[in-house]
Formats: sequence, C-alpha cells, structure tokens
Amino acid sequence: MKNCGQFRDLIEAYALGALDPEERAALEAHLSTGCADCAKVVEEARWLVSQLAYAAPEVAPSDMLKGRLMQTVRGEAQSEAKPHVIRGKSTIPLWVWAGIAALLLFSIYSTWNMRRLQDEIRQANERAATLLQERQKTEQQLALAKREAMILMDPTSVKIALKGSDVQGPQLEAKWHSEWGVVIMGENIPMPSPHHVLQLWFIPKKAGAMPMPSMMIRPDANGKFVLLVSNPPESMDATKALAISEEPEGGSPWPNNPPRYSGGVS
Amino acid sequence: MFLAAFTSGSAREVSPDATLLLRLLQRDVSAFEQLYDRHSRLVYGLVLRILQQAPTSEEVVQDVFLQLWRNADQYDSSRGPFVPWLCTMARNRALDHLRLKSERQRRREDLPDELPSAVVAPDYEKILDEKRRAERVRALMPSLSPQQKKAIELAYFEGLSHSEIAAALKEPLGTVKSWIRNGLLRLKEGLQATT
Repeated sequence: MKNCGQFRDLIEAYALGALDPEERAALEAHLSTGCADCAKVVEEARWLVSQLAYAAPEVAPSDMLKGRLMQTVRGEAQSEAKPHVIRGKSTIPLWVWAGIAALLLFSIYSTWNMRRLQDEIRQANERAATLLQERQKTEQQLALAKREAMILMDPTSVKIALKGSDVQGPQLEAKWHSEWGVVIMGENIPMPSPHHVLQLWFIPKKAGAMPMPSMMIRPDANGKFVLLVSNPPESMDATKALAISEEPEGGSPWPNNPPRYSGGVS
Repeated sequence: MFLAAFTSGSAREVSPDATLLLRLLQRDVSAFEQLYDRHSRLVYGLVLRILQQAPTSEEVVQDVFLQLWRNADQYDSSRGPFVPWLCTMARNRALDHLRLKSERQRRREDLPDELPSAVVAPDYEKILDEKRRAERVRALMPSLSPQQKKAIELAYFEGLSHSEIAAALKEPLGTVKSWIRNGLLRLKEGLQATT
C-alpha cells in the first residue's frame, strides 16, 4: 500500500496523461478515497500541464475555417431564435414527414434489392460450379479420347483380333501399346443376358495362372463400344490372350462362363 | 456569482473572456466570434503541433469551437480560468484523432470524449494576459535539459505514456519518469518565480 508521498511522485505524470495503466489505476484508487492533499496537488499539476499549450508556436488558421465556423454558428443561432410551435399543427414540418417516408421506402427497396442481388449471386455461383464440373468432365473425356487415339494410331501398338464363339457374329479388335494401355472396340455386339455384363480378362502366359479380371464392357443401344484399359493387370509380354465372357452383373473375380470373344497376343 | 469566477487577486477585475462567455450564454454570435479571434491562433497552433497536418487540425479546431458554442453552459466557470480549459479540450480532441489515425484504439480515462473539467489556477498564479503567459512558458522551456524537454513533449504533444516514451527513446523506464517529473517541477518553479 503506497502512502501519499509515494503517490505524489506520480501526480505530475498523471496530469500529463503519461502514467501507465497500473500506476494510473493505483493513483485513481487513492484519489477516490478522498485524499484532499493529493487532490489539491493534482489540480496544481493539471494547471501546470495546461501551461504547456503555450510551448506550441501560435499559428493562424485559415480564413476559410472561420468562415465555415461562423456560418454554422449563425445558422444554429437563427434556428434557435425561430419559434418551434405552429398553432394547431404538428411541430414537425411536412417536409420532414416526407423525408421520413422517402427514407422508409428507400430502406424497403434497398432491402429487397439486396436480397435479390444475394439470390442472383448464389445462382451465379451455382452455375459457375456446374460449369466447372462439366469442364472437368469434358477435360477428362478429352484426355481419354486423346489417349485412345494415340494408342490406335501409334505404329508400335500391337493389333489383337478377338474372334467370337459364333463365327457368324461380329469380331472385336484391340490395340495394345506397351506404355499407354489397351483399347478394345466392337460393333453390333449382342447385348448380354439380363442381369449380366461382358467382362474383359487377361490370360497370363504362365502355366496354371488364373485369368486376371479387368473392366466391364457396356455396349450402347447399337451394340457399339470403345474401352480403354489404361493400366492392364499384366504386361503385354506376360499375357497370352485377351478374352471377354458374360458374367453376373457387377463382374466377377474369376470367369464363370466360357469366353464369347478371345484373341491371342502375338 | 458567475463574474466572480473570472476575477482574481485584489483587483477583482473582470477578464475579457468572462464577459464574452456571459454573452455566449445569451447565444451572442459576435461574442463567439471575438472568443474565436482571441484564442484560435493558440488553439490551432497547439492542435497543429500535435497532428502535424493542417486540414485535420482545422477539423479539430472547428470541432472544439463548436463544442464551446453548443455547450458553453457545461463549462464549470466557478473553478478555473477559460483558456487552460479550452486548451485541455483541444489537446484531448487532437490526441483522440492521433490515436484513431495510428489505430491505437486504447483510450485513457483521463482523456475522455466529453468536455474536460475546469483547470484550477493555483494560489500563486496571478491573472496575466495570454501574451505574457505564452512568453513566460516559452522562455522557460529551453531551460529544461534536452532529455527532459523531449520526454515532456512526447507525452504532451504525442500522448505517449512512460513506457512508450522509454521504448521510443531506448532509455530505462525509471530514467524517463525522472526526466518528466523533474522537468515539470523545474517548469513549475520557474513559473512561480516569475509571477
């Protein structure tokens, strides 16, 4: 607990506004106890500090400042001098009511307009998101198509003919590029039985090895399809043949039916 | 009663400011204009010293004098002279602007937005005209040591605290406290000796 003497050392800085918060709080707590001696010293210090204003050089403000100030003061003096009550009428002039009404209308319009703009922004954002998704999808399709074209056109791709079990039926063709994958194409392919799909198999060269399951083939209404296998389960060198069989819907880890189409990898 | 607040010593003369403030309470525009003419150079000089920018300083001075016009009745005339009160209000407003400008939102309770309380003149103080007061203070300031003067100016014109001044000058906190206290006491002694 500080005594008056210790607080006295703080009073000049307090009047100057230079005390840090803790010391200021302590001094104010002491002053709030009603210490008359310290209060008198504070008053003297405040007067002393007020004299520092003279340390700044006097400078004349612009005439425009005085002009603005006097215009405001004269305006306020005139409005104060006018009577405020008009007999039999509201003390609020009609133009004020009109202004309030206009303000109210403007406020309602602004709110409505703000909500409309928010809706438009939200819809625009949704449209932008949809367009972005479509663009990404298109880019993916384009990349696949480009890869398919590269495989089909590259002279190093190996051509594989997949003959059908029905010699009168259509034949499929595949092209296998050692780096880019396999493309398999077909037309007029009969649709598989109900609840069944066509599934591609890679038949390994290794004796006794099981056929490696691959992707499912979904011909369109005209029996046409193009299938790209980007990452075949076996390398071309390790594959003896490609085969396609009819399997239960969803595919199967091993063949359940004899191949409908097959062709050796030369 | 009102006039008594503006008299001093044995002469009990009514100061020109007291007469003008009486007329200001009657909403006398010409009294306001005379008060402005009498003190605007001092107030503007002080505010400009704090803010360093003429346009902002003029805004603050306009605000100060409009407060005087609108709230003259709130000035506690029975407790102290007019000019120190006016300068205290101007300094508070200017420092508030300075703090807002530098985004230092911290406000001090001793520098509030409302009008300041009256600044009481001590017993040893006699009523001097403004010109002589200014000459007296300006003559005493160079008698302070450069460090005392710098520390006091940072506190008064820039609103810095002890800690902020110590950081700005890269000096120990205790040293800064001593500079400010001893400098103000030296100023006080000088003012007492010249009255």
